[in-house]
Amino acid sequence: MLKFNLSNHLLVGSLVVIVFFVVAPNLVSAYRLELLTIFLINVILAQSYRLMATTGDWTLCHYILMGVGAYATGVLAKMAGLPFYVVMPMACVVTAFVSLLFAIPLSRTLGFAFFIASFALGEFVRHVWLKFHYPFGGARGINGIPKLEIGQGGEWYFIDFWDSQNFYYFTLIFTILALMILFRIDRSRLGNAWKSIYSDRELSESIGIDVAKSRIMVFCVSGFLAGLAGSLLAYQIGSIDPHNFEMVEMVYLIIWCVVGGVKTFWGPLIGVLSMSVVFELTRPLAEWRPALFGLILILFLVLLPGGLETLPARIRAMLNKTSKQREAG
Amino acid sequence: MSFFLVENLTKKFGGLIANNNISMEVEKGEIRGVIGPNGAGKTTFFNLVSGFYRPTSGKVSFKGNTISGLSTNKIARLGAVRTFQRAALFTDFTVLENVSIAQHMNTNSSLLNAIFGHDNHREAESLERAEEIIEFLGMQQERDTMADNLSHGLQRQLGVAMALATEPELLMLDEPVAGMNSGEKAVMVGMIQKIRDKWGVTVLLVEHDMRTVMNLCEKITVLDFGQKLAEGSPEEIRSNPKVIEAYLGADDSVT
Amino acid sequence: MGVDTIVQTFTNALVLGSIYAMVAVGLAIAFGVMQMANFAHGELFMAGSYVVFTLYTLVGIPFLIAVILAFPIVAAIGMVFERLIFRPTRGNVLAGFMATAGAGFILQVLVGQQWGVGLMRSIQTPYPGSTEILGAAISYQRLLIFPATVVMVSGLWYFLTRVKHGKALRACAQDPEAAVLQGISLNKMTSLAMLLSGGFAGVGGALMAPIIPVTPYMGHTFAVTAFIIVIVGGMASIEGAVIAAFILGFIHTIVTTMYDSVTATMVGVFFMALVLIVKPTGLMGRVKV
Ligand SMILES: Nc1ncnc2c1ncn2[C@@H]1O[C@H](COP(=O)(O)OP(=O)(O)O)[C@@H](O)[C@H]1O
Ligand SMILES: [Mg+2]
Repeated sequence: MLKFNLSNHLLVGSLVVIVFFVVAPNLVSAYRLELLTIFLINVILAQSYRLMATTGDWTLCHYILMGVGAYATGVLAKMAGLPFYVVMPMACVVTAFVSLLFAIPLSRTLGFAFFIASFALGEFVRHVWLKFHYPFGGARGINGIPKLEIGQGGEWYFIDFWDSQNFYYFTLIFTILALMILFRIDRSRLGNAWKSIYSDRELSESIGIDVAKSRIMVFCVSGFLAGLAGSLLAYQIGSIDPHNFEMVEMVYLIIWCVVGGVKTFWGPLIGVLSMSVVFELTRPLAEWRPALFGLILILFLVLLPGGLETLPARIRAMLNKTSKQREAG
Repeated sequence: MSFFLVENLTKKFGGLIANNNISMEVEKGEIRGVIGPNGAGKTTFFNLVSGFYRPTSGKVSFKGNTISGLSTNKIARLGAVRTFQRAALFTDFTVLENVSIAQHMNTNSSLLNAIFGHDNHREAESLERAEEIIEFLGMQQERDTMADNLSHGLQRQLGVAMALATEPELLMLDEPVAGMNSGEKAVMVGMIQKIRDKWGVTVLLVEHDMRTVMNLCEKITVLDFGQKLAEGSPEEIRSNPKVIEAYLGADDSVT
Repeated sequence: MGVDTIVQTFTNALVLGSIYAMVAVGLAIAFGVMQMANFAHGELFMAGSYVVFTLYTLVGIPFLIAVILAFPIVAAIGMVFERLIFRPTRGNVLAGFMATAGAGFILQVLVGQQWGVGLMRSIQTPYPGSTEILGAAISYQRLLIFPATVVMVSGLWYFLTRVKHGKALRACAQDPEAAVLQGISLNKMTSLAMLLSGGFAGVGGALMAPIIPVTPYMGHTFAVTAFIIVIVGGMASIEGAVIAAFILGFIHTIVTTMYDSVTATMVGVFFMALVLIVKPTGLMGRVKV
């Protein structure tokens, strides 16, 4: 019964959130709306990063994978002039393929070596963008990526994506889709098998789970969705360059996931939400802001490892303890 | 075709020969014990046949397939599944979830199925079989306990239950009663017997505890200094002077 | 390619290898003892450069003394990292690593607020002029780095093999539990390791200050290379780090001479991927991570 109720609460909760995001454009300014669009893209990014972490493989190249999706979008949309319904799936597939190329050598390493080697491979890709002016535009990147189009002016199904509200809804649809996919994976037996690898790799292997293959597969699925985030980002901002995908951005992604936690599906959502709010509220801090986020990262890792998602359980444990002490005393 | 056949298995660690030219054959439906004093090479042998180590030379075959050199998960998929000497479990999951994860390779869980199909780990049909195994091994009471919170004895039992959930033909147990009190040992012995008798699973167990092996196994292989010292029924082993000497020499006694 | 180009490339590679060695050795020491992985190692390097900028350029202390002072000053920052970050997160490598990323942010901001964000600090070389070897011109400033590294690394080697605390540090790196049983204090050792680690990064940054642009963000490139080096060398192995530093120094210089530095970085990373595929534990690796 309890479980039934819980999933009902979740359903109601999710609906409330979705309704909020549907009506949001009417509540906020155009500038805020663009922030909200970026927020949705970040949600996809953080959630797909959590998928990587389910097998215990934290990477330092997720932002680069997002960049691969963005660059693929830039190249395909601008140079090849392809429509979005071809560009976006291709961007995702290209990113998944790059992920595969990353995952094959990386799957030979574990833990910290994996983490740091993924960093180096990511830097390799970033240097590819820097080096090859054709087609990546070198340090200048790709400018003037055409807005995505549905129909032409005058046709009845024409949607004008110069209007940021329309692009916001477009992003919202893909965010919901991505979250649904990830939620289903999280609740599936396959998802549990992946989590078991994090819990005890040798045991997983002994009960017939192909650990190496699973880790590669998770990497690719996660990369696919990072590619989606990148593709949306490229359409949203219209120009990309290697500086969009620097280490600093990766550290912010890590901050979201550390602050929220990655154990449950809700952790990264809490993390992105809370940190985005803090980010906006601390604009006046200007150049001091990175120091604040650095401090937040340290404090969470040292004082609340596991993130905000573990806070209720911790508080409960603490209350139990004090009430027991009171009984004893 | 032999069910499980080890031919001239050798493993060297640098200059040290941990397993030297070991051969043996296990028949279907047997409970076979492998014993030996500390440092005899039992764990090495176990890791070789379960795919954790690659042999230096020699061959292991199972149902006619050469399994030496295959990875552990491939060997498990062929039906030869191992447990661990330590209490190996997925600590963040309940007993039921642990068993259900162990069924992974017999399920149709694929990525597409996970996203679009019916592959919810909480759904009844995916838990039915796991419930059955838990009931069979008499662990219903602990069904929803977190694996981390079980006693040592129950954790080891859960390890066996998980191996069983993979539906193996050959179950390889690494010191299944290590660190248990006599009550827990008796439960485990009963469990192993039941697994063979009711489910027809062949059992190969590596064990230090002589009494357990003598009670449980029809045939025993004795290792000493990496080599096969003797093989035979419990009675034969008990009265074999070479075995007695090896165990006395190793400051251990045949009980 | 003339003799002069070859000599030029060779000495440049030697200098680059030296500076890599100095930075990477620090990483390897810290990782060797209780797996302290310092994301902000590049920022410690940067701090070393700013010590020289402040003491030598602004205050007017002789260059070499500023370089020597960079050791204790940056070592102190390293020890603060140990006390506030590595000690509470001991046992969780990734947590310590990520938290030091936060510390890196803080250092960048502090330095940027004090001395200007994004503004390059030019530091005049105290040793103008160059020497000519077989037609190749090599500036004295660069030439200084090689002997400095030899002195530092041999000093470290002497410390680790002959001095009591150094031997304790090595014992602790090999088997922390056994070391504790012998009465060695783990906290003292991690602190000592970060002292050395910070000191080496600081001196590296100090020596490089007159040669490269000094900015709050200069550490990043060095950190990337240093991490590639320790992976190739085998994470906790100091010998491995030194060998890999010179290998990568040569690769980087030769490819830069023939193509450009972007390509050189790519080749370096590719080399690392190759090492990982062939020998995942690195050239001299024994620890499993
Ligand atoms: N991974 C290894 N590397 C080197 N030597 C090993 C390794 N594993 C076991 N040995 C050595 O092989 C011998 C047999 O060990 P083991 O198989 O653990 O014996 P048992 O399990 O019967 O006590 C011992 O001398 C042990 O030191
Ligand atoms: Mg053993």
